[in-house]
Amino acid sequence: MSEPVVHITNLNLWYRQKAVLQDLNWTINPSENWLVYGASGSGKTTLAKAIAGLVRANGSITLNFKPEAAQPPVVHYVANWYQFKDLEGQSNFYYQQRYNKQAVEVTATVRAELESYGKKHGLNFGIAERIMSDLGFAALIDSTLIQLSSGEHKKLQLVKALWLNPQLLILDQPYNGLDTRSRENLNTLLDELAEQGMQLILIANDLEIPACIDRLAEIREGKLVEISASDRMTDFFTEETVPPVPAFLREHPAAAASELVVKMIGINVSYGEKQVLRNVDWEVRSGEKWLLQGHNGSGKSTLLSLICGDHPQAYSNNFYLFGNKRGSGESIWEIKARIGLISPELHWYFDPSATVWQSIASGFYDSSGLFCEPGSTKHAQADELVSYFGLEEYKNVLMTELPLGKQRLALLARTIIKNPELLILDEPCQGLDLHQTRYFNMLVDELCKNGTTLIYVGHFDALVPSCIEKRILLENGAVKSIETMTEAVETADNFENFEILTKP
Amino acid sequence: MSNYFNTLPLREKLNQLGVCDFMDSAEFLDGVNVLKGKKLVIVGCGAQGLNQGLNLRDSGLNVSYALRKEAIEGKRDSWKNATDNGFTVGTYEELIPSADLVINLTPDKQHTAVVNAVMPLMKQGATLLYSHGFNIVEEGMQIRKDITVIMVAPKCPGSEVRAEYVRGFGVPTLIAVHPENDPEGKGLLQAKAYCVGTGGHRAGVLKSSFVAEVKSDLMGEQTILCGLLQTGSILSFDKMIEKGIDAGYASKLVQYGVEVITEALKQGGITAMMDRLSNVAKIKAFEVSEELKDIMRPLFQKHQDDIMSGEFSRIMMEDWANGDKNLLAWRAETGETAFEKTPAGDVKIGEQEYFDNYTLMVAFVRAGVELAFETMVQAGIKPESAYYESLHETPLIANTIARKKLFEMNRVISDTAEYGCYLFDQACKPLLADFMKKVDTDLVGKNFNEGKDGAVDNRALIEVNEAIRGHQVEQIGAVLRKAMTAMKAIKTA
Ligand SMILES: NC(=O)c1ccc[n+]([C@@H]2O[C@H](COP(=O)([O-])OP(=O)(O)OC[C@H]3O[C@@H](n4cnc5c(N)ncnc54)[C@H](OP(=O)(O)O)[C@@H]3O)[C@@H](O)[C@H]2O)c1
Repeated sequence: MSEPVVHITNLNLWYRQKAVLQDLNWTINPSENWLVYGASGSGKTTLAKAIAGLVRANGSITLNFKPEAAQPPVVHYVANWYQFKDLEGQSNFYYQQRYNKQAVEVTATVRAELESYGKKHGLNFGIAERIMSDLGFAALIDSTLIQLSSGEHKKLQLVKALWLNPQLLILDQPYNGLDTRSRENLNTLLDELAEQGMQLILIANDLEIPACIDRLAEIREGKLVEISASDRMTDFFTEETVPPVPAFLREHPAAAASELVVKMIGINVSYGEKQVLRNVDWEVRSGEKWLLQGHNGSGKSTLLSLICGDHPQAYSNNFYLFGNKRGSGESIWEIKARIGLISPELHWYFDPSATVWQSIASGFYDSSGLFCEPGSTKHAQADELVSYFGLEEYKNVLMTELPLGKQRLALLARTIIKNPELLILDEPCQGLDLHQTRYFNMLVDELCKNGTTLIYVGHFDALVPSCIEKRILLENGAVKSIETMTEAVETADNFENFEILTKP
Repeated sequence: MSNYFNTLPLREKLNQLGVCDFMDSAEFLDGVNVLKGKKLVIVGCGAQGLNQGLNLRDSGLNVSYALRKEAIEGKRDSWKNATDNGFTVGTYEELIPSADLVINLTPDKQHTAVVNAVMPLMKQGATLLYSHGFNIVEEGMQIRKDITVIMVAPKCPGSEVRAEYVRGFGVPTLIAVHPENDPEGKGLLQAKAYCVGTGGHRAGVLKSSFVAEVKSDLMGEQTILCGLLQTGSILSFDKMIEKGIDAGYASKLVQYGVEVITEALKQGGITAMMDRLSNVAKIKAFEVSEELKDIMRPLFQKHQDDIMSGEFSRIMMEDWANGDKNLLAWRAETGETAFEKTPAGDVKIGEQEYFDNYTLMVAFVRAGVELAFETMVQAGIKPESAYYESLHETPLIANTIARKKLFEMNRVISDTAEYGCYLFDQACKPLLADFMKKVDTDLVGKNFNEGKDGAVDNRALIEVNEAIRGHQVEQIGAVLRKAMTAMKAIKTA
């Protein structure tokens, strides 16, 4: 028997006076590929970082690389969260910046970024080009970093990692923000590399995983517990119930002023030569529940940014929001007051200096961070949501000190706190585990019983709230189809994994 | 045209210098209503022009851009900025005659030409808005008597004006009405509404006057903000090289140090900055800064005197007329300094290390902030105005040095600030020559605490603490900072 590739004994790690990893043991033998999952805050990321040598823990971790192998003898960790920098080495961005043409030239282009990466690691650019085209990323090579959506940034990270082709690759939630096709292509690429000798540790809560994965484990109470594939499925489909929603969210949102919440007529948006939305017509009526889908780069986030008052080109287009023509004297703050928004970008660029409680309460004002004292009623409501989402112990902790899943929960609480007329949930459950995702979707179902209008974006695993009735599908910036969910399911080819949706 | 300030009788000079009222948020409850449905035309679409315009439009106001013909025909950046963002763009003739509010956001040096071109086109009873009062105060521009003249001056670069607005906040702002041009008495209401449109009302608004804004702005930018940061950076770097400190390390310490050090200043004033030092280092930095204050006081006073008398503007405008001869020579000289030419080394410097190994800069900043503040207050400027133009802006300027050293700082600031900065730097370096001879690496380049046991005399420490905390800039700062607690933390490399 040859030496294990990774050998971990009695690993212990504490964070904020709490044990995260406790006497954890793990052996990874040559040619094994592992999937590791667990609730948010269970220590998955910490364990991965410890193996990659990015955090220090007590106990022993030994890595054995194969000197004769074709791959470089390194472990490469792809974080679930990363910060890019501008050309001056700062990362002081705001999330609307990518829509502002004058502000995008402060970061490098994808090409320059990859060229300098390739040079640093002595890699052949031709290989990167192949990976890019497999991941549907090739067209973005001349975009600047700030113009990329979160899914596109994820692809950039993955291109670098696969290009490097290390002996041991650790991917932490690599599917976040990827559309179905890119996920499948990623899995194929991973299988190929694994075949050639790369070993993989995949940290993910998803169901579709590469075929090469042959061992599964969950992190529970600081330990690694090996799980069989069938047990994982059972666990996945356990029934979930949500406790009653706080009373202030059960009320009908402030009376909708108009039957038509959104009315878009021939919307076009372009950046120079590049057209991102083409002739989009779309009507959303009060109380309707919509699913918005499309591959990465199909224009979803641009479409939503128009609705949310975040896109300057809203003023050169013809559309109506809440019955008023956009650009007829309303302020973006009046619009935002009626919308509850969450998106990967909002999370990404959120004020890092705010505590959990301040972040939640800032939802009353649609600001990134809290700038005023909300008064006693709102104070009590924020407290109620803190406990509803199980965040009491983190209440006064800075957002950046929390695991990603918990940060996301806090931002979800922020999204719903004012019980808005229109909820825009753009991949709301990124970074949550399966239970939290189902739980949150049921909560959305509960909230939406009172006439709330919903626009929901999710590529994923068809894990979407059951109240959804209609779907709009974008392709290359144009509307490909608008149909009811029943129609969508019947013409299933485009509907992502609808089988899972209909399981118990 | 002659200097407006110099035409005033002393009583009126003091009167206008003394306008200073930190406004209550209740003053802004009417929002942008006064300007709703009015036609706002911005002249110039640069850093301030574009970003103020984006905010105003997002606040529900009707904004368009009037650009000079060459800019439209040549599709210059200003034209692209405006059209790419879906604004209407037109010539002066097309847009100015129907404008209710004309906003002049061209470079200060161009103001006379621009105002002379647009004024004849403005309709009766329209309003002219500036973001800086140089043209009115120093050049004595005369505006037609039916026109209302106001100022709304964000105390931040244009990119911040936008970034803070979309976060749901704003940047501190000065507003003013020109007393010679308020025929209908609507100036203040319009300035307040405009300020709400840019988001400024959420971060603290100071009601000022054209005179107070200009005289304090010039003083701040020449001395502590740009001049002293430049002098201090260059002298510190040269000292480290002279004493054999690694050049890459020295370059990084100076480039980023002033940003890290003034971040503490931003959050908690001079007190917080000095408290980042050990007790021994604090006492030393205090003594050094007292000495620096004594050496530099006459120079600060000379700058303030020249600003008040109009002498500064006179010589600067002479240089304008002379094709910027001095400005260009000084700019080139700055580009050639060893600090500018040495890239920051690839070394890790911890956050605390910036304080411990760059105690000299802490002393420079304390001396400069206090001196600028004291000198302005002695000259009749109110403490609140003096605070904004000294302590408040120091971290913002320090941030530009961290980005690309002095070249970047001088590129971002206005021409007026750049000119004044060099003027100060030229005079300050020789003044500090003897002082710098005594400075060693314990103050700059190495950890001051090294080899010291850290013991201090209780009474000495108490006295130093009291002197720092008791200074007027600290008391006024505590009040004003409360209004802008949410200013985003500047990140460090
Ligand atoms: N920068 C700051 O931090 C700051 C802060 C507060 C207040 N301010 C004040 O804001 C004002 C504007 O400053 P800025 O920094 O925004 O200036 P800027 O970025 O240099 O922009 C100037 C704009 O004016 C146009 N322009 C230049 N010369 C012109 C001329 N002769 N006639 C017509 N248009 C002309 C330029 O466009 P074209 O050349 O394409 O025509 C450009 O769009 C100044 O009064 C300044 O004191 C600045």
